[in-house]
Amino acid sequence: MTSLATREKMPMADAALNQGVATADDGRRLGFALTLPAQLLVLFIAVFPLLMQLYISLTDWSPLDGIGWWQAYELWNSFANYTDLMADTRFWGALGRTALVMLICVPAEFLLGLGLAILFMDDFVGKRVFYSIMLIPMMVVPAVAGYMFFMLFQSGGPVNDILSGLTGMNVSIAWLSDPTTALIAVMIADIWQWTPLMFLILLAGLVGVPEDQVRAATLLGASWWQRFRTIVLPKMKTIIIIALAIRIIENFKIFDTLYIMTGGGPGVATETISVYIYKVTQQDLIWGYVAAIALVILISLSILVSLAISRMNKKKEA
Amino acid sequence: MTAIHLENLVKRFGAFTALKTMDLEIRDGEFMALLGPSGCGKSTTMNMIAGMESPSKGRILFDGRDMNGVAMGRRGVGFVFQNYAIFTHMNVYDNLAYGLRVRGLPEREVDGRVRKIADFLQLTPLLKQPSAKLSVNILQRLAIGRSAIVEPAIFLLDEPLSNVDAAFRAVMRTELKHLQRQFRQTMVYVTHDQLEAMTMADRIAVMDHGVLQQVGTPLEVYNDPVNLFVAGFIGSPGMNLLKGSLADSDRGLVVDLGELGRTAPLPPQLAAAARSNAGRDVVYGFRPERVSLSETGEGMPMPVTFIERIGARTIAHLGTGEQRVKAVFDNDVAAESASTVAVAIEPASVRLFDAATGVAIREA
Amino acid sequence: MAGISFRNVTKRYGKTVAVKNASYDIQPGEFFCFFGPPLSGKSTILKLILGLETPDEGEVLIGGKPVNHVSPASRNVAMVFQNLALFPHMTAVQNIRFPLVERKVPEVAIKARVDEVAAKLHIAHLLHKPPAQLSGGERQRVAIARALVRDPVAYLMDDPISALDARLREETRVELKRIQRDLGQTLIYVTHDQEEAMSVADRMAIMEDGEIRQIGTPVEIYDRPASRYVAQLLGAPMMNLMPVGASGREAGEGTIVLPARAMPQDVVGVGIRPEDLKVEPWAENHPNRPATVYEVEPLGGYTVVTLDTGGQKLRALMRGQPDIRIESVVALSCNPERIHFFGAAGEALRP
Repeated sequence: MTSLATREKMPMADAALNQGVATADDGRRLGFALTLPAQLLVLFIAVFPLLMQLYISLTDWSPLDGIGWWQAYELWNSFANYTDLMADTRFWGALGRTALVMLICVPAEFLLGLGLAILFMDDFVGKRVFYSIMLIPMMVVPAVAGYMFFMLFQSGGPVNDILSGLTGMNVSIAWLSDPTTALIAVMIADIWQWTPLMFLILLAGLVGVPEDQVRAATLLGASWWQRFRTIVLPKMKTIIIIALAIRIIENFKIFDTLYIMTGGGPGVATETISVYIYKVTQQDLIWGYVAAIALVILISLSILVSLAISRMNKKKEA
Repeated sequence: MTAIHLENLVKRFGAFTALKTMDLEIRDGEFMALLGPSGCGKSTTMNMIAGMESPSKGRILFDGRDMNGVAMGRRGVGFVFQNYAIFTHMNVYDNLAYGLRVRGLPEREVDGRVRKIADFLQLTPLLKQPSAKLSVNILQRLAIGRSAIVEPAIFLLDEPLSNVDAAFRAVMRTELKHLQRQFRQTMVYVTHDQLEAMTMADRIAVMDHGVLQQVGTPLEVYNDPVNLFVAGFIGSPGMNLLKGSLADSDRGLVVDLGELGRTAPLPPQLAAAARSNAGRDVVYGFRPERVSLSETGEGMPMPVTFIERIGARTIAHLGTGEQRVKAVFDNDVAAESASTVAVAIEPASVRLFDAATGVAIREA
Repeated sequence: MAGISFRNVTKRYGKTVAVKNASYDIQPGEFFCFFGPPLSGKSTILKLILGLETPDEGEVLIGGKPVNHVSPASRNVAMVFQNLALFPHMTAVQNIRFPLVERKVPEVAIKARVDEVAAKLHIAHLLHKPPAQLSGGERQRVAIARALVRDPVAYLMDDPISALDARLREETRVELKRIQRDLGQTLIYVTHDQEEAMSVADRMAIMEDGEIRQIGTPVEIYDRPASRYVAQLLGAPMMNLMPVGASGREAGEGTIVLPARAMPQDVVGVGIRPEDLKVEPWAENHPNRPATVYEVEPLGGYTVVTLDTGGQKLRALMRGQPDIRIESVVALSCNPERIHFFGAAGEALRP
């Protein structure tokens, strides 16, 4: 059926008729056969690494052991990695820090992005220039961004210079050396880099809100805020969920910019889950343990995101 | 219940003038149709009344009060959009309640008024239904109810029947007209369909190219169009319009229609008015419904090119070349394609227009 | 030029039956119209003729030959789609030439054929324009010309003028009819507009839920509908349908008296076309109960009067501009010969 429907909409009907047209059932079978290799490939790409990871997480295997990963069963330790993990305070600390960063950055990016998107719904002078400028942070390679903010937040760097100029005092905060300010600096960098993405997605959502319905609400006497709350937000529900989901997942994996700015330091003050995993993998080389961490994160993140989405769906329907 | 007064209204969009001076008085409680082809300025006029556009020049008065600068939510205007603009993420009840809730009315009063209007519009069994999948006749009633619940002084409707399928449109027309009679509200109705304007409106404002052509009751614009545009636009089919020139005959003033020959003498009063136009080219107009055919009798001989039998009516297509005539009969007329018939035109239905200006030549 | 026939054709999509046991014969050179509400199977019938669908049962014949297993290309049937499907980046003439260029017809032959078709459709002066510069009716003719150049055995049109405005539709349908007469070609036409169907069709088929309910000339079907369903599909305003009252001798709450002698057996409902319903001032000694005028809608040449019988609304179509006031009390009547009788299943009954 689908193949026929699209054929009918083709601009050149006669051309379509000139080719032999298969019937509906043939089409469905043919479609399945043609996509089979791709489906198998996707299955392989998605499922194989997961199974491999599960397997290794149940062993003490490390590349230094001199045996291939498929032989890891020789170092079988059942659930030891998982029980170790439960007692690993550095892991829990990293997880908590990651959650904190996420809880601050994602809402901040969302509100800033939404505010900017609303601004961009109106016309103003230089809109197109600002639009292009808005998108620059997103295009900067995270490693470069990390280096940029590393420079900005030096104790003799521009951030302190500007603060000095504004306050008239001689500000010299050692941003990246102090545990609290380091975390703040890292979050500022993340917000700087990812607000534009929020802005873009939310702007697309705003543009898609049916103008007639907003006008109808205006004519019924609704104020700006009432229109926003009762018409615009509900219409953007899906796109807001998508935007938040993308950023929550991405933010949870925060690594590159941060690692260049602070390397996870001072101490473990900015060590997020990704940084922690990286260190364990690269420095401690206990891969079985890493696999266990990764799996726990993957599963908990999946549960978190699906819970959040279903909560949001329910809330909007109520 | 408000009278609307449009004074010297002009609307320009950049270099394009959508409306070139419009003066119109819409009476309190009147059903006024703004009728014209697309791009005639009718929607622009309506949007300015609603406050969605602001006029480039001129004033809009509601009961003598200048609406310039009054925001669109504060004019007391109910607007029914072409696509109804129902809030698709809400159910029927919440749509109806919307206007009251944004005014901060207590939920008990909201509930009472929603139930009252739902009852009136026969929407009560549907109150809990999501509005996204309702049929268009229900959507229309819902859109009207949602506007009516806040008791606007003026109702504006923007082609509300254009999405309704033809068979059902007739029923909706009657119902809409009847609703207006019960609400007794001033209603402005924008449409490009002359049938809708004719059947529903108390008066029609016919517009073309940003200019108001004629204002009058449906029968006034049908019977006495002021110019060729109105004559051709009103009626289905429109008025027959044949180019010709005035000529004297022994029976009085007639119109020479070239290939089709000469018409019957003009009625005395029309002839008197036409005398002042003597020698100039005129357009000879008459309604397709005011024609009779005979095989032998009096009248202009014309070839029949095609007979359309469409239920209650039969449309005969007559004439040759540029001079084409349509005649509408009841379904029992005996005429055959490719024959020649004598066409007799009811003298009282004849109208004359100045061929150069298109303006009707009227009895003084 | 070829006739087209269906022999007991059935087409299903999963569990839905799109076309059910359809049999009909379209004569060569006939303007044949399929008419019915959306999803009644009209478009599926076109697809079956075109060969875009294969029947599950039965046989499709073109020019007397079975074509169930003939590919769409070899059936040589041309289709004009609802959205016209003209190429916007090509001029009218390039659009028209396209099917011939695709078939690698020699240039000289293409030119001759395009000129011939353009002359027939009166579009020679438009050939250099792109579709965007053409009016709706002109685009329509270009689309027909493109279908025409191939010299197919039959043309199919799926609601081809529904996008035009009302006035232009009235002009275009007459034009279509003229073109079809001039060409003398078989034309199969699908529309959802009853007036258009009656105007153009030599014969028409009325469809409901995948089944053909009646086939005949528009006048036959309008005057002698086979069922209540068919009766209410044709005519604007719709036919007035009323149940017969308890006494069996009246309808419309006693506002209409039925002919005592000329009634068939087992009549459950009656139908009266609006133009057959006579409206007169009511007088005390009138045998029927009075009706009230609910709404008056002037059309200029005609007037639609909606009447309230106390239980239902009836419509009368009156010629001219009669002076009838809303809320006035009137008597209704109808020529007994013009009353349609229906049985319990909605089937038409004849006296």
